[in-house]
Amino acid sequence: MTLSHLKDIVRRCQAVQDDNFKPEDYELFQIAGREVVEQGGSAQLLEVIKDEKNKNIVRAMGWSLLGPLVKVLIEKEEESLPHCLAIFTHILEVCSPKELLVGLLEQVEDAHPDSITDTVILLLQPLQKVLLKLGSKKASSVGMALATVLSQVARLPVPYTAAQEDEDAFGLCRCCAALLAFVEPFVQEVRLSLGKGGLQDDELRTELLKFCMKCLKEPLMEANLKEDPDSSQKFPLRRFASEILLILSSIREALPSLLFHHLLKRKEEPGFLEEDVRYPRESLACLAYLLFVEHIGSESFPAVFSPVFVLQCNMEYIDLLLSRKEESRLQKGLDLYEKSLVRLEDNSLPVMLLELKTFLSVPQNLVNVMTLCPIQNLRTRALSVFQLSIDKFDMEAKYKFFRCMLKTSSHAGVEGYVIKNIRNQIDFALKPGNGNPWFLGIHLLPLLRLALSLPQGPETDLLQGLDRIMESLNLLRYLLLRDKESENETGIWTELYRIEDSFMKPLRLGLNMSRAHYEAELKSVRESRKLRAREAKAGGPVCTVTVGGEKLPNMTPEMQLQVLQSALNTFDMIEIVLARIEEITEVKPNV
Amino acid sequence: MLYILLWNIIIRLSSQSVLIPLNNFLCRLNELLKHFEMYGFGTELPMTGDKVFVHYVGTLLDGTKFDSSRDRGEKFSFDLGKGQVIKAWDLGVATMKVGEVCHLICKPEYAYGSAGSPPKIPPHAILVFEVELFEFRGEDITEDEDGGIIRRIITKGEGYTKPNEGATVEVTLEGTFEGCVFDQKDVKFEIGDCESFNLPVGVEKAIMAMEQGEESLFTIAPKYGYGSAGNAKLSVPPSATLQYKIKLTAFEKAKESWEMNTDEKLEQSSIVKEKGTQYFKEGKFKQASVQYKKIVSWLEHESGLQEEDEKRARVLRLAAHLNLAMCYLKLQEQNQALENCNKALELDANNEKAVFRRAEALFAMKEFERARDDFQKVTQLYPNNKAARAQVAVCQRHIKEQHEKDKRLYANMFQKFVERDAKKEAEKGKEEEKGSSKMDIEEDGAEVQIEA
Repeated sequence: MTLSHLKDIVRRCQAVQDDNFKPEDYELFQIAGREVVEQGGSAQLLEVIKDEKNKNIVRAMGWSLLGPLVKVLIEKEEESLPHCLAIFTHILEVCSPKELLVGLLEQVEDAHPDSITDTVILLLQPLQKVLLKLGSKKASSVGMALATVLSQVARLPVPYTAAQEDEDAFGLCRCCAALLAFVEPFVQEVRLSLGKGGLQDDELRTELLKFCMKCLKEPLMEANLKEDPDSSQKFPLRRFASEILLILSSIREALPSLLFHHLLKRKEEPGFLEEDVRYPRESLACLAYLLFVEHIGSESFPAVFSPVFVLQCNMEYIDLLLSRKEESRLQKGLDLYEKSLVRLEDNSLPVMLLELKTFLSVPQNLVNVMTLCPIQNLRTRALSVFQLSIDKFDMEAKYKFFRCMLKTSSHAGVEGYVIKNIRNQIDFALKPGNGNPWFLGIHLLPLLRLALSLPQGPETDLLQGLDRIMESLNLLRYLLLRDKESENETGIWTELYRIEDSFMKPLRLGLNMSRAHYEAELKSVRESRKLRAREAKAGGPVCTVTVGGEKLPNMTPEMQLQVLQSALNTFDMIEIVLARIEEITEVKPNV
Repeated sequence: MLYILLWNIIIRLSSQSVLIPLNNFLCRLNELLKHFEMYGFGTELPMTGDKVFVHYVGTLLDGTKFDSSRDRGEKFSFDLGKGQVIKAWDLGVATMKVGEVCHLICKPEYAYGSAGSPPKIPPHAILVFEVELFEFRGEDITEDEDGGIIRRIITKGEGYTKPNEGATVEVTLEGTFEGCVFDQKDVKFEIGDCESFNLPVGVEKAIMAMEQGEESLFTIAPKYGYGSAGNAKLSVPPSATLQYKIKLTAFEKAKESWEMNTDEKLEQSSIVKEKGTQYFKEGKFKQASVQYKKIVSWLEHESGLQEEDEKRARVLRLAAHLNLAMCYLKLQEQNQALENCNKALELDANNEKAVFRRAEALFAMKEFERARDDFQKVTQLYPNNKAARAQVAVCQRHIKEQHEKDKRLYANMFQKFVERDAKKEAEKGKEEEKGSSKMDIEEDGAEVQIEA
């Protein structure tokens, strides 16, 4: 029935001269064709299509059959598959490339979420064929095709572990491989044209550049691109990354100018539209990662840049990566920072670098990773990279950096860590032959005043600030023991009266207040334990704990007692060190 | 193997100097190394900051080639003396002439040191570069890279900070035209205010690219100089390309927020507020806004203040936002004005000026209904404000007009384009109107002094 219907339409159209088909002809042809395919009549349809008499009709309207055909090809319906494939191939041969392009892209766009991979892999080759037929005017069509395909590919989950990548359950890796095969002839074309002195702002070249930048962002930014140490075989995504970099070099997009663009360009304002598309920051960050951490593409990167300059440029990208929350980005940011730092000699970075905004914002981000990131190993890595960055600064830079961190980090653990670093630097400076002006004498004093202080006076939360307070006390004790009063190289002895006022006195006062408070609390919990009935109420205000915004279940009275007791122990500990310090200072009659 | 030989000789000759400078030595060692090198022509050497173009081949001492621009088929370019490349290059290329080919043999300290540069260069590697210098040229410092201001650095400055808008700079400068000095002076001024000192805008742009202590020669095209008018006072003819030798002796770098304590921030805020007001009175709204912005950046996130300081900080911030709003209104940057009014209202919910200025901003953005609401709010809260009452009426009129216009617009699609033109005309008219209303606001400008 449907077949005869189609034949009717075709017969009618055979009479039409010069392809003057009416819009309704297209529609009728498409509907009838679809029905024939759907009802398994593809063998007969093939006959109709191949019929010499119908040549003009097929050339003009054939593309409208792409939808139903692609459906069959993807679903691999056994009976109709060979015929549909033959029709598909025939249509691709005879129809106008422009219409085919639109038709094919429509199919890509409409792909069912579950069959994105199959659709992309099936259609990339036909798309390439069609685009190549467009000749010299294809640039924007290539761009359109790439954008359409990439936006579909971006919907696929990115494998992160080696096993996932191996399995390639969602087919992302296969898509990437297919994409590379797809762009290959276009890359060659641009390469040849550039070789013959073609223009750098060639449209096709721009489209390929955009493609590379998009791939760097998605999927590569999210992928784990590390080399597999156990096997010489490259992971598919890593291979994809190296191929993308090869494309960049084929189209003569020099890596240095890509990466250092932002430092060398005068224009401060972020580029508008075109620039943004061409050089998205995030893509460049991924590129920097590939080059400096994974050494992909390093063979075409000049080996004459100074490590400081490279660091300076990479700071932009590190900043961007570390300001994010995703593991893949944080990991890349930490790696990039580490690899940029290890190329430098210790104590070599000059203080002037701290004038650059990124040299302050990167540590801030690093502190956030160290203190807030839920992934343990990233927190640990962040801390070690933080220390590495401190080691690379020269004395003056370290000094300025410590001051800055003490003023801005507002996290007791980090402040404690910085204070420990200050102690190490003073220790180093006090060793014979190492004297330096920054960690002794007059310069040191302002830093000491910062380190030896209670941020909120006696009201400081001693438990919260414990890490910092203990390091401050350790530092003070160290100074008093290590630096003889007669020598006073650090200036601590003449500063002591001031520190007494600004640090020790308020600390003692705070200790007394806190102790009284906790003891009272302890007492009340004990009492309330006796009066079981009141326990919940008494437990309420002291012991609700929230972690990551989630309220933890209320503590049992036993736990409450434990916590309160351990708080009191902590106060004891502080007190012991404080007492020890007072002992040392009291021995000296003139203080 | 010649490298090794050469290396030994050089070590002996220069055990005290760390960089092995190369073409000087090579010249001296001419006999031995003749086939390596080619003399350049001309006498001129590249200067610090110049963009230089070279080809190079880098090898390790064992002869392994690790990098070559010739293989890449593209000349390598970089800014000389800026620390972009390894030290050996910054020093070595500075001694080359155009056309010269030489070998730079770099000790690790002057290359990649103990860390090396993975994956290509191992730790502690001595590197040998064959370098050919093709071209060098002064650095173009204009934003559009239109060649309008070219710099040649005589003495490099220090640091990475450059004077920004609003920075106070001290410079020694000498302007010449065709070899004749037309201007020579030591001046101290604030960036953005060059006209008061009879300096062309190019000089200001030049200074903003300079580092502390830097001395440079600038070639400034007429576009950035005195233009087609020239400068009669200095007897600079029309369309003259100028040469300036400028030394940036000092500039006041605004302190980073974290470098200041609360007292300092409060004290500095009062000072820059004065400055801002001064600029405002002189009609220099841009410069004034730079000053007020400093207050916001210093005090906005300052927390944990004593009660009294807190009060002072609030007053300063409120004034800063109100004055910024005024500046932006004058500069016709309505969005910024709006934002500052909102910030001010966060601090003082019913502030008369804040509401009034927000209304003005909205009015200028053609948000007549919202503008009317704000003007009405002013009249309700402050019945004495006659200006607001008048503005309510103006808004009403505009709303009505707009309404009718919309009606007509949708009524007839073909009319649309004609209407649009008409609207444009109307806008022009409105702008003129705005010009006249500016006069009214001038009285308001006096209010900035009250703020001070």
